[in-house]
Amino acid sequence: MGGAVTLAAVILLGLFAVWSGCRVFVVDSMVRASFSLMLSFFCTGGIALVLHADYLGAATVFMMAVEMMVMAIFMIMFMMNPAGLNPMVMVHQNRLSIAAGAAAFALLAGAVLLSDLPDRPVDPARDTTANLGTELLGPSMLIFETAGVTLLAAMVGAVVLSSHRGRFGDTDAGACPPGLTEGGPPAGRRPEEGGGHGHGGGNG
Amino acid sequence: MTPLVLALPVALLAGAWLGAWLDRLVPVLWGRPAQGPFGPLRDGAALLARPTATTEAPDRLTRWLAPGTYLALAAVGLSVIPMAPGLAPLDSSVGIVVWGACEALTVIAVFLHGWSPNAPFPLIGAYRYVAIGLPVMLPSMFVLIAAALPAESLSLVQVVEAQREVWNVLRQPMGLPLFLLVGLTLTLRGPFDFADGADIAGGTSGQESGPGRALWQLARLTMLTAFSAMAATAFLGGPLGPGLPGPAWLALKTAAVMAVTVGLGHTVARTTPSQMLHPLWVGALPLSFLHLALAGWVAL
Amino acid sequence: MTLAIVLLFAAALFGIGLYGAMSQQSFVMLMMGLELMLNGALLATVGFWSLALDGAPEAQLLAIIVMAVMAVEMAVGFALVVAVYRARQADMTESIGTMKE
Repeated sequence: MGGAVTLAAVILLGLFAVWSGCRVFVVDSMVRASFSLMLSFFCTGGIALVLHADYLGAATVFMMAVEMMVMAIFMIMFMMNPAGLNPMVMVHQNRLSIAAGAAAFALLAGAVLLSDLPDRPVDPARDTTANLGTELLGPSMLIFETAGVTLLAAMVGAVVLSSHRGRFGDTDAGACPPGLTEGGPPAGRRPEEGGGHGHGGGNG
Repeated sequence: MTPLVLALPVALLAGAWLGAWLDRLVPVLWGRPAQGPFGPLRDGAALLARPTATTEAPDRLTRWLAPGTYLALAAVGLSVIPMAPGLAPLDSSVGIVVWGACEALTVIAVFLHGWSPNAPFPLIGAYRYVAIGLPVMLPSMFVLIAAALPAESLSLVQVVEAQREVWNVLRQPMGLPLFLLVGLTLTLRGPFDFADGADIAGGTSGQESGPGRALWQLARLTMLTAFSAMAATAFLGGPLGPGLPGPAWLALKTAAVMAVTVGLGHTVARTTPSQMLHPLWVGALPLSFLHLALAGWVAL
Repeated sequence: MTLAIVLLFAAALFGIGLYGAMSQQSFVMLMMGLELMLNGALLATVGFWSLALDGAPEAQLLAIIVMAVMAVEMAVGFALVVAVYRARQADMTESIGTMKE
């Protein structure tokens, strides 16, 4: 692929990545938000493919497809208005956040523009997938294994945290929704006798 | 490689027709009359002539995007499969990962197809499918990685080359059955048809009629084609074989896998999603671990 | 030239992600902001690997690590959301002003 074609592809994919990244916080629907984020990731994967990182590009696509599907499910579980039929704004400290985001971008962009970036592109003929494989199971095996153990620990932690039955009985025993005002009476419905939110204690 | 890409639509359409006909041949198994080879075409034309049904406040873009994505995923999946030894339409060095990405995205395409009409039964179908689809994807990855082990490459061209002496189906006997389970899920068939089942009034396509429904059915059938070709490539040696040219062997093996998949889809009963989750997590997943370990041991 | 453009896009993604992580009230949306920041990091890593490091495999490894971080963040994050929801029926950041049981 010629340099100009690569550059054009990178610019198009990058613009789409940023646009869909913005859409995440603009669309009202949770499903649309998570799949916008997925599109943004796919653009990153596409740029990786254009830049000869074959494995990383394809892996990004399938990793993010699964992750965002899980994300969408959780969105629908936890959000009111999951279908996004009503407009909804759920932000706090909006101006500060915009300023912080813009400042972060300005700082990073300044660093990019002011620094003297090296120019040593990868040889397109190189077998980058095999390189990655030998690196993973060769010099960097310890790092790779640490990442694996970390993932395992995260899985165990996630199961422990989300398990319904804890050391001291049901996790939602005596659970009470927060008040609408400071110190006010609990909002929403109270958990039923025996815990669970509406399952009638079917998990216990 | 460009001329081979032109063969893709032909292969997909021919496979879709064959899959649809096999669906209509199944009654022969229990001694009833079956339809002729023109049955699928007649039914397809009738479907196209019907008016489009609409629902209240649907997501119009996604409603067309979902079947389109499903169809595109089948095409991309098929494009990395070598049609003759050493010759794939899209010779990717990570073909197996590309196919894995197509599998993962299929779950999303089906979910969006159920979500977009903004109606209860399609949405229930979408949720049920995701609950089953995600755990099915895990054995799929292990099975595919195991198939890549003897080739020491993620490229499907190499996977085929590594099967010159002995096919993967003999080296890794558990691979094909596990992969058939994945195929039934990907094509929404039989025991894994939690998306479009008759028990929830057609599920994700319950509100569809006319061209949209026709496109969805076409996409399902093309995915069946792509899956069968993938199974034939990863486990049955793909285009390798004596006498006949490579594409003919691939077509024959694809048709055989397709017949088995369609037969399983029509003969195995479906259970409830909650009951299905248990065998998937407790049965299929450890089995695929074991399969990968055995395949690694054999490959060493 | 290409590297600078890739890095600018990565910076933009990071900035948007930071905005989301700071401004969203819903836990899940907040995590989307974090994911977007990691997306920027991933893009920058891939850009550096491909255009500035002569294809050093360690940079690809770093990209894999970024993906692993995302997976850990998702798993632990959602588990925390579930735990908080069980205890407080809350899915908004404002609802947990205290760490007390």
